[in-house]
Amino acid sequence: MLSVSNLDVRYGQFRAVQGVSMEIAKGDVVSLIGANGAGKSTLLRAIAGALPIHSGRLLFKQQEITNTSSSSRVQQGLSLVPEGRRLFSDMTVEENLLLGSTVKRSGDWNIERIFSTFPNLVKRRHAKTGNLSGGEQQATAIGRALMSNPDFLILDEVSLGLSPLVVNQVYDSMESLKDAGTTILLVEQDLERAMRFSKRTICMLEGRVVLDKLTSDTNKEEITQAYFGLHQSSKQEVS
Amino acid sequence: MMNSLVQAILLGGYYALVACGLAFMFQVMRIINLAHGSLAILSAYLVWEITDALALSPFVSVLMILPIMAIIGLLLQRVILERATKGGELLPVLTTFGLAIVIDNLLFQQFGANTRSLSPYLGDLSWESYEIFGLWIGKLPVIVLITAIVVIGGLDLILRFTPLGRQIRATAFDPDTAGLVGIDARKIAGISAAIAMMTVAISGTALGLRGTFDAYAGGPQLLFAFEATIIGGASSLWGVFLGGIILAIAQSIGALIHPQGFLLGGHFMFLIFLFARIYFNRDVFTLKHWFAKRNKGEITA
Ligand SMILES: Nc1ncnc2c1ncn2[C@@H]1O[C@H](COP(=O)(O)OP(=O)(O)O)[C@@H](O)[C@H]1O
Ligand SMILES: [Mg+2]
Repeated sequence: MLSVSNLDVRYGQFRAVQGVSMEIAKGDVVSLIGANGAGKSTLLRAIAGALPIHSGRLLFKQQEITNTSSSSRVQQGLSLVPEGRRLFSDMTVEENLLLGSTVKRSGDWNIERIFSTFPNLVKRRHAKTGNLSGGEQQATAIGRALMSNPDFLILDEVSLGLSPLVVNQVYDSMESLKDAGTTILLVEQDLERAMRFSKRTICMLEGRVVLDKLTSDTNKEEITQAYFGLHQSSKQEVS
Repeated sequence: MMNSLVQAILLGGYYALVACGLAFMFQVMRIINLAHGSLAILSAYLVWEITDALALSPFVSVLMILPIMAIIGLLLQRVILERATKGGELLPVLTTFGLAIVIDNLLFQQFGANTRSLSPYLGDLSWESYEIFGLWIGKLPVIVLITAIVVIGGLDLILRFTPLGRQIRATAFDPDTAGLVGIDARKIAGISAAIAMMTVAISGTALGLRGTFDAYAGGPQLLFAFEATIIGGASSLWGVFLGGIILAIAQSIGALIHPQGFLLGGHFMFLIFLFARIYFNRDVFTLKHWFAKRNKGEITA
């Protein structure tokens, strides 16, 4: 469904993402792991079209999207829930959700289904999103992305700043997405939760992919080593 | 005294009308269009030409130039502003300044130095008045004021309650995220420029109906629009409406103090608001600021 090859994304001279390649098939649930500053958000924003790609290629459903606009990618079914939620804070929950359906894609998601998926939003329907709690804001951000009926949903640190209870609620509602066959790529700091949720784990370090395995074929120790960059140095010691 | 105040409010309606397009474009696209006044004069000439050639009422001619100005707005965005904004903050200002000079000179070449007015095409309406409490109030200025209220109210309703308005607000608030939810920023910018130019068409017509214009009348209109926008605070269109009225009142007070004080009074008020906005909390003057305060008070009470 998504094919990333040799992607380079830069901020000026700084190469935040370098030579990243990955294939994500329909129905995959992939978690992207890595320390702060590893380049995860940069990669996700470049995939969604919010950052220009310096070199490399991006294919979505066999179509080249390397240089297309973010809105046309949403139109094709690729949607990002950005880090820090990025809601339109002077608008209401309902307005934010309606904005998510700007592109008219057919599918099961509509505003009432969002409210039944995230019941905590119901009484906040007409509240400005700037005045919501973190959990309500996150639910709105996810709901807004779902309103475009994406085939491929990317979530960047959805549990950031939420209480464990609320994180559970958010993940419970995402289970139903998984069951519906939506392809998911997510960044999650909580390694155990990420491993429980996803079928595949990709680990990034300093802008590069250092591990890409089925979750069942790897373990916490291996991922932790890759996370801290111990993976390669131990290899070097062996060689 | 009372008479001056009423006349000032009516003139303020015109200022609000000419300012709302400038403020709208600034709000939505973050562009200060220095060709704003010249485009209003272009519209006034277009209306004059159509009215004269087809023997129509100016009120009909203006309806005919609305789509023309909308297309000019779209082209302005696609051909000039879109490229200019890629070159940094200053480039759109410089290019629209250049555009203003080009339009002024083309109009001068085409129409010469004579002043024109649309009022001869209005018949009796150009001098008819209402008598209210012993004051004579011209029908035409009242029509312009009402038009300003309708245009600003209409834009406000579109922004608040339509999908297009939501998309425009979202793009103005955070263009990157607007793209990520599927809003086509290019389309929104084009539509916004078209809307702004339609208000420009109406304000140019209003100028021609209320008085006279010539090829170089764009500069003063831009100045009035700019002063009304700064006084009213660029963040809300109703604020700009108030700004237009405050500007006109300041001008009439200036004129009361000294026969030549009309423009100076306006400039003085503009400077007071400008400095106040720079040195105090930026939104002390917006309605939102005061309403937000009051709401907070209610909550704690
Ligand atoms: N807007 C930006 N301008 C310059 N550098 C940036 C910007 N955003 C992120 N970076 C840098 O790029 C690197 C990767 O950041 P990011 O993609 O946010 O990492 P992660 O999401 O994995 O924490 C970091 O070193 C960060 O400092
Ligand atoms: Mg990040």
